Amino acid sequence: MTNHLGDIQNSKAIIIFGANPAVNHPVGFKHILKAKERNNAILIVIDPRFTKTAAKADLYANIRQGTDIPFMYGMLHLIFKHGWHDPEFIKNRVFGMDHVIEEAKKWTPEKVEDVTGVSADLLYKITKAYATNKPGTLLWAMGLTQHTIGSSNTRMAPILQLALGNMGKFGGGCNILRGHDNVQGATDMCCLSHTLPGYYGLSEGSWKYFAHNWGVDFNWLQNRFADKKWMHTKGFSLAKWWQGVLQEEKIYSSSPIRALWIQGNGITSIAQQVKVQQALDKLDLIVIAEPFVNEAAVLTNKKDNVYILPTASQFECEGSVTATNRSAQWRSKVVDPLYESKTDEEILFLFAKQFGFYDELVRGMMMGVKDGKAVKVKNSFKWPEDATREIARIIKTIGLTGWTPERLKKHQQNWHMFDEVTLKGIGPMKGEYYGLPWPCWTETHPGSPVLYNIDIPVNEGGMGFRARFGVEYKGENLLAGDRATIKNAKVKGGYPELTKDNIEKVLGIKLSSKEKEIMGKNWKVDLSGLIAKYALKAGIAPYGNAKARAYVWTFPDKIPLHREPLHTPRFDLAKKYPTYSDKKNHYRVDTKYISIQQKDYSKEFPIMLVTGRLVMYSGAGVIERNSKYLVQLSPEMYADINPELAYKYNIKDGDMIWIHSPEGAKIKVKARFTYSVAPDRIFLPFHFAGVMQGKDLSENYPEGLVPYAIGESANTVTNYGYDIVTQIPETKAGLVRIEKA
Amino acid sequence: MYEYARMKFYCDENRCIECNACTIACAEAHELPVGINRRKVITLNEGIEGKEFSTSIACMHCTDAPCSQVCPVECFYIREDGIVLHDKDKCIGCGYCLYACPFGAPQFPKDGAFGIRGKMDKCTLCAGGPLPTNSIEEFELYGQNRIAEGKVPMCAAVCSTNALIVGDADSVAEIIRARNAAKGKGTSSPYGWDIAYK
Amino acid sequence: MKKLLPFIGTILLANVPLAEPNKAPINSSSALNSPQLVESIPGWHKFGALFVYIQTHWINILFLIVLLAIPTIFFLHYKVIGPKVFSHKGKKFLIFPPWQRVVHWIAAAGFILLVPTGFLIIYAKFFGGGSFIVFARYLHLIGAILFAIAFIPMTLMWFKEMLPQIWDIKWLLMLGGYLSKEKKEIPAAKFNAGQKMWYWIIVFGGFLMLLTGLLLYLRDFNIALLSTFNLNNLFGIDILRISIIVHLLLAVIIVTFFFTHLYMSIFAIKGAIASMIDGYKSEDELKHLHSIFYKKLINKEEKF
Repeated sequence: MTNHLGDIQNSKAIIIFGANPAVNHPVGFKHILKAKERNNAILIVIDPRFTKTAAKADLYANIRQGTDIPFMYGMLHLIFKHGWHDPEFIKNRVFGMDHVIEEAKKWTPEKVEDVTGVSADLLYKITKAYATNKPGTLLWAMGLTQHTIGSSNTRMAPILQLALGNMGKFGGGCNILRGHDNVQGATDMCCLSHTLPGYYGLSEGSWKYFAHNWGVDFNWLQNRFADKKWMHTKGFSLAKWWQGVLQEEKIYSSSPIRALWIQGNGITSIAQQVKVQQALDKLDLIVIAEPFVNEAAVLTNKKDNVYILPTASQFECEGSVTATNRSAQWRSKVVDPLYESKTDEEILFLFAKQFGFYDELVRGMMMGVKDGKAVKVKNSFKWPEDATREIARIIKTIGLTGWTPERLKKHQQNWHMFDEVTLKGIGPMKGEYYGLPWPCWTETHPGSPVLYNIDIPVNEGGMGFRARFGVEYKGENLLAGDRATIKNAKVKGGYPELTKDNIEKVLGIKLSSKEKEIMGKNWKVDLSGLIAKYALKAGIAPYGNAKARAYVWTFPDKIPLHREPLHTPRFDLAKKYPTYSDKKNHYRVDTKYISIQQKDYSKEFPIMLVTGRLVMYSGAGVIERNSKYLVQLSPEMYADINPELAYKYNIKDGDMIWIHSPEGAKIKVKARFTYSVAPDRIFLPFHFAGVMQGKDLSENYPEGLVPYAIGESANTVTNYGYDIVTQIPETKAGLVRIEKA
Repeated sequence: MYEYARMKFYCDENRCIECNACTIACAEAHELPVGINRRKVITLNEGIEGKEFSTSIACMHCTDAPCSQVCPVECFYIREDGIVLHDKDKCIGCGYCLYACPFGAPQFPKDGAFGIRGKMDKCTLCAGGPLPTNSIEEFELYGQNRIAEGKVPMCAAVCSTNALIVGDADSVAEIIRARNAAKGKGTSSPYGWDIAYK
Repeated sequence: MKKLLPFIGTILLANVPLAEPNKAPINSSSALNSPQLVESIPGWHKFGALFVYIQTHWINILFLIVLLAIPTIFFLHYKVIGPKVFSHKGKKFLIFPPWQRVVHWIAAAGFILLVPTGFLIIYAKFFGGGSFIVFARYLHLIGAILFAIAFIPMTLMWFKEMLPQIWDIKWLLMLGGYLSKEKKEIPAAKFNAGQKMWYWIIVFGGFLMLLTGLLLYLRDFNIALLSTFNLNNLFGIDILRISIIVHLLLAVIIVTFFFTHLYMSIFAIKGAIASMIDGYKSEDELKHLHSIFYKKLINKEEKF
């Protein structure tokens, strides 16, 4: 989220693409309802299904899956046509909007209607309502990201906000709703295969910075890899790790995957469950460290070498978590770990001890900064405070420097002293924002509740866009225009990110030789904190002030372009808006695009598949399906089906049906009549597991641990398809065939 | 003379999103048997644009509660703050209260060999029952007595959107007025209040 | 103990995280939990309010009248007019074959359970409620089952003889002769008009009592079932309300006739009850109280 949930109360218009906060963020949704009450804010929901959120909307557009880009281009078409855009904002703070304007010209409302299924009339109504009520905020979640063009979708939405000048405004922004309480934190700490923590890349420089901060030898780190080239290569992704085992598509790795360690991930939450099952069977070893029985242990037919380590729940451990709005929250331990379960960190420590790198693993927690260098300052560490300090010391990119455990605890213990709408504190926390939303540049910085807001000074949370990609591209200036000066900043307009070399010039100061000696090379690796200190003194953010890029020269599509899903019900449009060519070595595995799309599936598989969440379950439902009360609300896996569609197949409410995917997988579920899905699509909740293609797997559970509810996983039938940049699976667009069981 | 508050429930259909937090929290707090729904969330016109809405329903603690009027054992008693409670030791499970209740609040566990209705169970507004306050016996029969502890009833305490409000009639009315006034929609009587409260 | 069991169960379940799959009950599509519950709230003014009115204003009084006034009237009748006494010597005729007597006594046993327990439920307050009345409700259920078993055979076995005849009007006009001490021939076949009334009340009323009782016992309806019977405009709860109103008011009538039946068979006609025990009625009794039937019998015998 660029803003935060409470800030939505400042919005005059709220548009939601592919998110269902009424179900997935019930408490957060309160702020949207309050905006409606207090501001008369208009709530617009764009979704392939009439969700609980849509039920509260003023305007609802029933969009065909995977056509968000045409829809937003349609909006931009009307915005530019009617002059609803913000020319001043675009001129000073956006790069390459001309390309977008050109593309938008092609997307007339009639054309948008043909592609998206949303009438030209409704498109106009929505666009006018959203563009003329400012500030407007744009929310999205997995409905926008889980597509082959997911990365383009997530660029398109900010472009819409940039065109309207809604970025960096209270009540505006792009608010991406993260799922669980620490998903943002997991991303920030990079539980991913393509960056180091804090979004530091895989370059040698980054590795060396971390090696220095962890107090380990870079060569030692390098020698941990099979070959040093793997150190700088993206790993397998969660979406397609199973190909690393099965090798049905070509893989590019030092070795196939032979062992799997699962800690905190519902295995049934990713697509292609049949392949996942095959891969699990083929593995030499599976270790699961979770509080509940992960479905990986159930899905597999392996009889041996599957280990489940009982792991503590969040109530049995302590530490900081990061909320969807970049706020940190301290979490206190309620009880000690029950029975023989151990906390996550204890399991990892034991693992490291067993494999002989425990000292290297924990050394970073015993280090501090002296004269701009990380040195060992003590001989023991205290979990989790010292881990938090280590994070604060190292992560400069997103500005975690200010997140000391003391400040975070103080915020957690004084919830009542913060305002819900502004996040501002009172008393000892006066001036600070709740949870110190990052970037929190220094140990006295109050945090930044609204990203890219130049209307407030940097020491109150203001900043421009990050100057991440140089100062110019093909002769065009990438830095912000003069009118985009951050409030109270000594530097007018845009400026580059600060480095040891340019800081004196940009800020017009003179550094002493001692300062020059201890200062890091640039703001991202400056352990001395001097760059941040001088930047804040001058009222600017250390990371520069540039234009936001609407045109990205490094991406497969320079500006977002519509490309039909791999399995599209409109094969005619697939010819017109084809997907990418097949991609080699995409997260170490070849990935198919056009070779799938060139076949017409729409005749044999005429029904669109929508998947999503239920309010009583989260993720793969591993936890909640063990609660007798929660299970009572939705005890069985089902498919939402429109009575009109059901009639065609002679299906009655409550009948069992088979759902077949183009990949040949099938699931048997109960049909539930509802008008919330259109007659050309069905909806599946994805929280169930324990039944695979009609086969009850309950005997695979350890004795006595079968949950109250088991059922088919929706992801058994979600189709093949992966994002071109991130490799997120395309679970939000796909085709199926149904038949009465 | 001291003026007692008049406790009332109110569920704002503009805010209720059918998250069922009230139902679950109620069941967990009072350790209800599965199948007893002291509070239920009900959605109407699901999937129909402009018509779908949800509301949370439990005992409304009505004025001159019809349940207490028809009870053949007179097991009901109404506190001075308007909370309608009943004595399970007297209850015979006849179901008359259910037939009299406009809100379908009384719940009956299937009890005994014939599946005959057991003692009635319903929302106590988290005010327990006639047994000693906060005793184990009271908890086992009626659930928590949060009112005695000065706490808000569980359902309203956990409501994710503050759709469900409980409290003194005047304060509840004030909140409704404020919410409606902000929208410029004026004041209106909440659904079901004309039947529950006179 | 009974009330404790579910709670102990809950506590055990709460402490032991072991579970069986799919054992949590499915959220039933009972009309009482469905959207129709909300829609039915404004409809309370129909049958909900009616039930509250009847239950609070009439039920106690009506049953009190039945309980006190009817026996008083019979007591006076017994004292003033007195019972009919017939000679039980002489010829006897088999009126009720054994299987008819068995059916009758099953139904009778049902009634003997149903009526007092019904009164116990209605006046539960005076007995302090609680487990004693809950036990009465169990007996009420057993009584209903017994009655239900006998219901169909009883309806069929006497159906023909219970069809109304022209002389029944005569019987009704003279109230079966019970208001005079005079012993004369009363126009009636095997069953007199009074017995026929009782029979038809049992057939129709009994059926309705069984039906409404069953509905109240089941309490939850499948909405689909309601639509099959074209009752979409009625919600589950309204069905229950109608059922309880019908059940209570019908009970007033049936109990009145039940008391009459008891008085007639035990007190008003001396020895009448014997015919339901051994199956035989005396010639004297038949001649007078079932004169038409008697003549037919005699005719038949003469033919042989």
